[in-house]
Amino acid sequence: MVRRLAVAGCALGLAGSSARAQVSQSDFNALREMVLKLNQQVQELQQTHAADAQTHQKDVEELQLWQQKLGQLPAPPAPVPAVGGTAADGPVSSLPRAPIDEATVNHNFMILGDAEFQYAKAEGQRGTFMLADFAPIFLYRGGENILFEAGFDFILQNNAPNAPGYTTTVNLSFAQLNYVANDYVTFAAGNLLLPLGTYSERTAGWLNKLPDNPLARGLLPGAAVGAELRGAVPVNDQGMLLNYAVFGVNGPGSADGTANAGALDLGGNVGLRTDNMVANLHGAPSGGGRVALFHPFKPHYDFELGLSTQAGEWDNAGTHLWSAGVVDAALHLGANCEIKGEYVRSRYGSDDLGMINPEGWWLQAGYKLAGLNLDLPGINNLELVGRYDVLADGMGTRTSRYSAGCIYYLTNTLLFEGAYEFVHSNGPRIPGNQLLLQLSYGF
Amino acid sequence: MKPHFSLQRRPAAAALAGWLTLVGGLGAAAAGEAVPPARTNAPPPAVVKPAAKPRHQLTGAELYSMHCNRCHPERYPTERTAAQWKTIVLHMQVRANLPPPQARMILKYLQENSGR
Repeated sequence: MVRRLAVAGCALGLAGSSARAQVSQSDFNALREMVLKLNQQVQELQQTHAADAQTHQKDVEELQLWQQKLGQLPAPPAPVPAVGGTAADGPVSSLPRAPIDEATVNHNFMILGDAEFQYAKAEGQRGTFMLADFAPIFLYRGGENILFEAGFDFILQNNAPNAPGYTTTVNLSFAQLNYVANDYVTFAAGNLLLPLGTYSERTAGWLNKLPDNPLARGLLPGAAVGAELRGAVPVNDQGMLLNYAVFGVNGPGSADGTANAGALDLGGNVGLRTDNMVANLHGAPSGGGRVALFHPFKPHYDFELGLSTQAGEWDNAGTHLWSAGVVDAALHLGANCEIKGEYVRSRYGSDDLGMINPEGWWLQAGYKLAGLNLDLPGINNLELVGRYDVLADGMGTRTSRYSAGCIYYLTNTLLFEGAYEFVHSNGPRIPGNQLLLQLSYGF
Repeated sequence: MKPHFSLQRRPAAAALAGWLTLVGGLGAAAAGEAVPPARTNAPPPAVVKPAAKPRHQLTGAELYSMHCNRCHPERYPTERTAAQWKTIVLHMQVRANLPPPQARMILKYLQENSGR
């Protein structure tokens, strides 16, 4: 083998020497220059290739990184609920989403709320359009555990007879600072929506389903200035909860300082008197709370039962107590059927009428016709609503009311509501039977 | 000295105690709880426990349907951005007394399907 290579090398050496003898110096120089150029081009190509290889390697690494991220996303696409449907019903595909960089956006401040515009035709009165309510809620989230929220009500009202124009009234319906202390306790302070039953926290027109409030809610304060602890304790891992709320507030006061029955003022006593003195109108604050059990059977099927109460002084002299108790219940039988109601009983002493015991209750049922699975135009956007409510004021007047209503869902938050109310009372019938049409929007 | 209580001296009490023992024994046998089995050399039968049915863990979507529909028609997750949902869910957590762990699962569901 070595011998063969030596012979071949000698042959090539002889051939090379004979070729050199035939090439001129100029040809050799031209050839040499060409070889140098080719060598330079090869080096440039090698550099380009090295850069391409580096770029490719980065692309591969980035691709692997994205594949890992995609692998970490939840496997099944999350469902999106439809109007009258359930979020847990059907799968809807969704694109994987890169998390939003919280440092680049600020949505800590938001405005939610509701607006209602109404047409009312009361018996014996002329029909009229009115701004029933414009109620924005301002939210500011300060970090993970702090939330400030304030709700306002804008109301328009005619000026006094023979005075032109109208008056715009802005009411602060609630304003509270909430601090989520841990998984079981949230501390709230301010002008609180009182957890007496559940209605005070669900009064918006697009939540209420009927244009009017239940009569019995007139026995209770909607909000009061004070402090509250609230939260929920899971009872099992299937969603059953024990809700609670404990609060101390200034409590109801007397409109004129006396202890006459007609002076009871459920909405006053905010801690700052008209003479700029910081003081409660009576000697002791009012306290109360609510406890409720929420039992879900499955999504959209649940039952909630709650008990709540509040008690304290109400007249300036502090000689009489005011107290109230509420039993509330709500039942959902699917996404289309809801039954709820409250029983309210109050009790307060007075100088002129002695002990007064007002009470009332209401029961409301709603059914979305989408549950019938009928193939008729528009029927899946309709909901039928009925309510019966009663109020006995404890001073001899008893009023009962039947309300028959219908809702057409223009969207999931824009509702056209209509109701006719049949009122029966042994006292002055104000406003009497009436037709209410309302456009409600929740935003 | 006052004599000690004795069944021998009180035949009626003895009869009553016997009757109670008999009735109690029959009742226990009927209930199948207090009568010990006869002793044998056979090994006790193996107790086969039924396989525990795995409990379904609620998802964020289910919690969303469970809680939000209690008060209002469900909102589409695409109606808000992920950051907006964070503020809204904290608002609803306080308003509807949602336990924070459940609220976090609902928030995760809403953010993953949010509008932007």
